[in-house]
Amino acid sequence: MSITLTQGAIEALYKGLPIKNPLLQLLNIRQMTSNSGLPRFRLMMSDGQHALSSFLLTTQLNHLPEQKLLVQHCICMLKKVVTSTLADGRTAVTVMDMEVVQSAEETGGRIGNPTPYNKDGQMSSPAKKSSATLEPDSSSATAPGPSYRSTSFSRSNAAQSSPTNSPMKVSPMKDTNSPMKFSPAKGTNSPMKFSPAKGSNSPMKASSSSPMKVFPISTLNPYQSKWTIRARVTNKSNVRQWSNSRGEGKLFSFEVVDESGEIKITAFNNEVDKFFSLLEQGKVYYISKATLKVANKQYSTLKNDYEMTLHAHSSIVPCEDNQSIPAMNCNFVQIEELENRDKDAIIDVIGICKKAEDVSRITTKNSREVSKRALHLIDSSCKEVIATLWGEEAEKFDGSGQPVVAIKGARLSDFGGRSLSALFSSTIMVNPDIPEAFRLRAWYDREGYAVNSQSLTERRSTNSGSRMNWKTLSDVKNENMGHEEKAEYFSCLATVVYMRKENCVYQACPSADCNKKVIIQHNGLYRCEKCNREFSDFKYRFLLSANLADFGDNQWVTCFQETAEVLLGHSAQTLGQLRETDEAAFDEVFQKANFRTHIFKNRVKLETYNDESRVKVTVMEVLPVDHREYSRRLLSNIRRLAC
Amino acid sequence: MAGIIDVPKPRINCSMLLQHINQAVCFVCRVSKVHPSGKTFTAVDGEGKTVTVELNCCLEEELSGVVEVIGLVSNKGVLMAATYNLLREDRGTPFDLELYNEALKVIHDFPQHYPFEAAVSG
Repeated sequence: MSITLTQGAIEALYKGLPIKNPLLQLLNIRQMTSNSGLPRFRLMMSDGQHALSSFLLTTQLNHLPEQKLLVQHCICMLKKVVTSTLADGRTAVTVMDMEVVQSAEETGGRIGNPTPYNKDGQMSSPAKKSSATLEPDSSSATAPGPSYRSTSFSRSNAAQSSPTNSPMKVSPMKDTNSPMKFSPAKGTNSPMKFSPAKGSNSPMKASSSSPMKVFPISTLNPYQSKWTIRARVTNKSNVRQWSNSRGEGKLFSFEVVDESGEIKITAFNNEVDKFFSLLEQGKVYYISKATLKVANKQYSTLKNDYEMTLHAHSSIVPCEDNQSIPAMNCNFVQIEELENRDKDAIIDVIGICKKAEDVSRITTKNSREVSKRALHLIDSSCKEVIATLWGEEAEKFDGSGQPVVAIKGARLSDFGGRSLSALFSSTIMVNPDIPEAFRLRAWYDREGYAVNSQSLTERRSTNSGSRMNWKTLSDVKNENMGHEEKAEYFSCLATVVYMRKENCVYQACPSADCNKKVIIQHNGLYRCEKCNREFSDFKYRFLLSANLADFGDNQWVTCFQETAEVLLGHSAQTLGQLRETDEAAFDEVFQKANFRTHIFKNRVKLETYNDESRVKVTVMEVLPVDHREYSRRLLSNIRRLAC
Repeated sequence: MAGIIDVPKPRINCSMLLQHINQAVCFVCRVSKVHPSGKTFTAVDGEGKTVTVELNCCLEEELSGVVEVIGLVSNKGVLMAATYNLLREDRGTPFDLELYNEALKVIHDFPQHYPFEAAVSG
């Protein structure tokens, strides 16, 4: 009883700190079954304050308990220990050499009131601190703002610390409060007092304000997991939901920049909820513990081979010190330059929004409804381009006052010549606080507003909203149009030079929407195979084969009901009857329709019929020639070709 | 009058008048003001420039709109009309004088592609 135990020894031993010959009391000894057949003894030692049962006796000292020298409550001096981490992450202190300095009888009983030691040396009650990691607000007073930590993020110098830190490394953050029981703290999340012993810059408080070693973004790679970066959010996308064959979910992505570079970060599902409201564009954060992987260049254009995905252990904490981090990293391209850039390139552009069209709703091929708005942007190159915004951004855009609009990460398309489209990952900034914006504003107010700029995006004033692909008939053969599986569409101006009178009409099923040819049966009724019915009557439908010609070439085309009616000027029914009754009148219809010039909108496609494939042209629409529009187009073509 | 009919008559506008002095030309223009005597009127071409047209016989009716005048260019740049015809506005598409002017420029910029003289005589 005269012997005092070495206070704090348990903690030191657990952490692997050097401690010389500590005196500990044996509280319990247990024999374990071991693979080798040798008995293995596990000891629970106490320093009067804390107790730890993770002590293992080296087998060379097995004689101590076997000879009843090592008995419960005896006091031992540990002369040589090795602290190590087991495969499952638990810490074990292996006693390599020890000496019993006082027997159990002499000691009399348990010294002090030792409590089971856990990492932070606290009581075994579920301390607020460790459970705080699950609440959005760290309950520790020093936690700045809405910092959300899903696990201790002191990992950054874990590399420097001894193996005792390892139980923290792989904390499976599945369950809630770490069991504060007397078991080697498995996966406990308390980040507090447990500062990595060696080389820690400052005592790790519950807050995140402890400085950690910050890595430059350019050094991040998938092979290194213990890092922290400090970067500014330059670009934050909206939350997007997806649903495909493998399931569904939501995601959002953002890009960050620091002095060394930029990187894209994506958060899925749970992480979306955790981090979306925390992150603000333009603010600087400490980020650590995310998965690095090779960047999918299809979705990102940043200059980084890698990109990051947040997971359950990721940590993002706002940082106050942000002077050194550069703000938005934009490479603005002059609008007139856009002509020289490739289609589908990702571009940053800035310009004055001369005019913003109203938002319109369109239905996509997948039957989704989406809003869109076209902005006319002009810059000091005196060239204009149309930039399209989609979805929410289109809806909430306010173009009043001709603001400066900067778009980072827009896609250049060859629609209408050249135009821009905002992607899911693009950032739209209205009147941004950057010198480029001021320059543009000054230029526009001085002279830009009066400039008669030329738009790179031709607005087709012709009927169809979609692009009219003007071709000549010789182009069809020269360009091998329609040879791929996909149908191609084009418009042309051509003259009808011949129409096949035989089989220009056929007898079709009279039921609505069924255009199948009917078979005349012996009983005088007409049978439709598709409807599987017999009819007493039929309706005539057009199936006109015509030859069109222009200055360069001619082309056989097929016209169905609607288009044939336009060409011939009569309905199929009329013509069918004329064929039977008045042959002269029938011929005259064709005579009159011959050598008339129209605008044809055609579809050319490779069609296979009984093992034979041929390129066929079908007329989708016949329109009268608008001579003025045609002339204008010819004039502009001439001028363009003349340059 | 006979001399004019079988001669090639290039289409011109005001800026080309002086290059065709003493030549037969074809001029499409919009009538702006008719002289009270009825023997002459001023007209505007696709570029907005004015030309004076002199007629050999008096105008019986009021002339307005786009006319196509065939005649000789005098040394003073006045068009001595041999004949004219009115392009009616009430039927079909109205005549686009500006577009016509653009076409005119193309014809004169690329005479090798528009050999009208050869076509008439050959």
